[in-house]
Amino acid sequence: MEPLNQVLLHPDRRIGADLERWLKVSHGGTPLAAAIADPAMVREQIRVAELRGLGGSGFPVWKKWDAVAAEPAKPDKYLVVNGNEDEPGTFKDRLLLEETPHQVIEGALVAALAVGANRVVFYINPDLSRSLASLKLAIEQWHASELLPQGIELTLLPGSGHYIGGEETAAMEWIEGKFPFPRGKPPYPAQVGVHGCPTLINNVETLAHVPHIVMNGAEWFRARGRGTGTGTKLYSLSGDVLHPGVYELPMGTPLRELIYEHGGGLLSGKPLKAIFTGGPSNTLLTPADLDVGLDFDSLRARGGSLGTGAMIVISEGTGVVKRVAEYVRFFAHSSCGQCPPCKSGTATLSRLLDRIDTGRGTTDDLATLEDLCAMLPGSGRCHLLSGVVQLLDSSFRHFHHEYKSALR
Amino acid sequence: MTSAIEAIPLAEARARYRPDTELTPLPPTIDPDTLLAAFHPDHLRGSVVKLAIGANVGDSCQRELADLLQAEAFIDEADLAGTPVTDCDVLIIGGGGAGCAAALAAAERGASVILATKLRLGDSNTVMAEGGIQAAIEPEDSLQRHVQDTLRGGHHAGDPALVAAMVEDGPDVIRWLIRQGMQFEQTAGGNLHTRKAGGLSAARIVHCRDYTGLEMMRVLREAVIQHRAIEVWEQSPAVELLSNERGQKCVGAVLSSLADGRLRIVRTRSVIMATGGVGRLHLNGFPTSNHLGATGDGLVLAYRIGAKLRDLDSFQYHPTGLVYPPHLSGKLVTEGVRAAGALLLNADGRRFVDELAPRDVVSAAILREVREGRGIRSPRLDKERYGVWLDTPRLERAQPGLLERQFPKLLARTRVAGIDPRVDPLLVHPTLHYQNGGVVIDVDGATTVPGLYAVGEVSGGIHGRNRIMGNALLEIIGFGRRAGVAAIGDRDRGPKKVTLEHVNRVRRALTLAGMPMTRKAPQVLPPYAGGAWNR
Repeated sequence: MEPLNQVLLHPDRRIGADLERWLKVSHGGTPLAAAIADPAMVREQIRVAELRGLGGSGFPVWKKWDAVAAEPAKPDKYLVVNGNEDEPGTFKDRLLLEETPHQVIEGALVAALAVGANRVVFYINPDLSRSLASLKLAIEQWHASELLPQGIELTLLPGSGHYIGGEETAAMEWIEGKFPFPRGKPPYPAQVGVHGCPTLINNVETLAHVPHIVMNGAEWFRARGRGTGTGTKLYSLSGDVLHPGVYELPMGTPLRELIYEHGGGLLSGKPLKAIFTGGPSNTLLTPADLDVGLDFDSLRARGGSLGTGAMIVISEGTGVVKRVAEYVRFFAHSSCGQCPPCKSGTATLSRLLDRIDTGRGTTDDLATLEDLCAMLPGSGRCHLLSGVVQLLDSSFRHFHHEYKSALR
Repeated sequence: MTSAIEAIPLAEARARYRPDTELTPLPPTIDPDTLLAAFHPDHLRGSVVKLAIGANVGDSCQRELADLLQAEAFIDEADLAGTPVTDCDVLIIGGGGAGCAAALAAAERGASVILATKLRLGDSNTVMAEGGIQAAIEPEDSLQRHVQDTLRGGHHAGDPALVAAMVEDGPDVIRWLIRQGMQFEQTAGGNLHTRKAGGLSAARIVHCRDYTGLEMMRVLREAVIQHRAIEVWEQSPAVELLSNERGQKCVGAVLSSLADGRLRIVRTRSVIMATGGVGRLHLNGFPTSNHLGATGDGLVLAYRIGAKLRDLDSFQYHPTGLVYPPHLSGKLVTEGVRAAGALLLNADGRRFVDELAPRDVVSAAILREVREGRGIRSPRLDKERYGVWLDTPRLERAQPGLLERQFPKLLARTRVAGIDPRVDPLLVHPTLHYQNGGVVIDVDGATTVPGLYAVGEVSGGIHGRNRIMGNALLEIIGFGRRAGVAAIGDRDRGPKKVTLEHVNRVRRALTLAGMPMTRKAPQVLPPYAGGAWNR
């Protein structure tokens, strides 16, 4: 996508924390006025635009918004801006927060007005020091500005540093001052969220799209997408490609285009082996998926998932078992330990994988691994354990021979 | 260096030589900078190129070295599948003096240490160091003078903070070595015996005959082998470092085995690089005094993971490498011999330089004599070699018995070749001896890459553009111990993930710069000893 066609990463908008300049280069605060004037209209626009949750779930945004808007404030209503970004290979939210913090804040304010929230919490991964600094400055500028809608309070809260803290109910626990253990659902955050108040939680990238939809209309947004996708998406491209980085492309751009046109192709001209899609549920894509559009529905139809839009490219010559073992180790470290199946399950999976990867695994180890994958999914409060199994299943499906050949 | 054709054949020069002739006075000295610019190998036309990728883009670098720094890695992700992983607190790469000192310092503080060495523990340039170790311990000497001598010797290109750190450590390093059991030469009264050397303003070289490094290695080796917390892996060259998932922190290394070619991964909190120098790259075609493993692997690996290097166009050519007999070509005659009073004579039997001027100046003067036709030609099987006389017989006449007493190693080594330095002058020529620059470090030996430390010859900044005698042994122990202590200070929980992301970064840079990816590095062994690493 040409730089000037980009929405979120348009060069004019990458100005850092400078509110005055932001108002000149963006819509000058009109989206806020529109949201104050007619919140229901804004929600309707989001619905027609088919904006999805870009933090990995792909859940339709309007459903959450409508649910929260329908709840009465008790006495507060929260909007949590989820910037806990910690998935392997994902580095898009930090870029938005660093370079266009006002875009995110403006989106959050519109969302807050649209659902009637009065408390906006920016919940950010504490390791992202530059994003935190930029956002802190930007929030101060809003507080000093007359444009901040009355009754809305902005807070910046560094997260716990735990991967699991990005799960929406875990984030709420942390905001309440507790360890970020995910809660059981239902009740859903829309009914019982932070301190029992109705709470809307959206990803940074999701909210950044909101002002543009409000200003340019739902049709304009839909037209940015390709195939079944709507709008644009930030893809975090990494791994064995020539130009890794964040690319804003139409939602539904084929994988081939992302890797070969934008990413400059594979390093040393090696053949493509697989792609790990980053997010709460990793899956593997293979060269057979090269022409699939990278959007939620097209990938789901092929048993994959878009996740956060992270694409970690693996070239021929890279061991899949080692990579999977590393991911699972990451998840085993990240398990909060609350649900026994997840606590011991991820640890066991990781140990078995390490054995196989380091050449000490037996046929029994592989069989145990496969049995666990059949047994474990769906047994935790959050999606972590199922995500791990999804990744393993997907790697078995495509690369079972590699597991076998790594056995002792 | 073979461009000088005019020279006097060895036999004729030997017949003409008399140890008792009256010497003509030294010709007036010419400006050292002019001499260096005209004759020092660092200034040879075409020997230096600009680096095109990496942390030192645009910097000058010796051509042979640049080829390796900008080479592709041997290891690919595929090679790591099924590789056994070992965890430890500190991995030390290199089994010379610096590596041992670092290992002991870390282990004494409770860390679990793996010391991996390419050949055997102690196969290093440390054991080749003959002259001694500097430390300002004499009453008329001072730390200040030691600092000044070091900076001046290095043409004021050294980092004063690093020099100060090294010099401060001096007296304590000697004390520590004595506690480890090292023997030093003593005066009749039982004090440490010191001597002067080129570029020193006071007697400051503490030594053990002419095998100080060998004696040092003897005690370090014993201490390392005996320490429970140190595991020594011999014949295990490092072929690649490992980085975290962003390629920004060093979290381990891939070691190969010279015995069976198998790979092993060591996962660790910090890596101390103590791999020594580059003599075996034979820059500009020079012979070298270095041991077989000195192929610059440390520089290659550190550069690839993103560490900044410095002074890559500055190498030390020791003035007195043996030319004859051929099998000892390049081997060192310690500067101690000149410090004791031996003179350098050209084919005409004339002195041509102050023998105790800094090493680079003396080397440049010898190369001038050879190039201008006043050298002596030695027959050799492959190609002809040239040199000048190191006048040991005259020294023997002036101080009978001195050679035998103070330089037993030299006598033993030449005796087997039928040469007696007490009677025969030695034919010498500059030999590639030391890498002045190297990996940029701070006073803890930390490089610009988190988790990666560098000590000893592989590091740079202390010696500026020329090292003076005795500072190398001081540096390896002083900075080795500093790095050993600092490396266990990082209190993170250890690496989550070990990757080759930094290798990918280099591949990207090579592709974008349009450079070939056919050459691979590190070399591990010189081509004539098995060539580039190959499993």
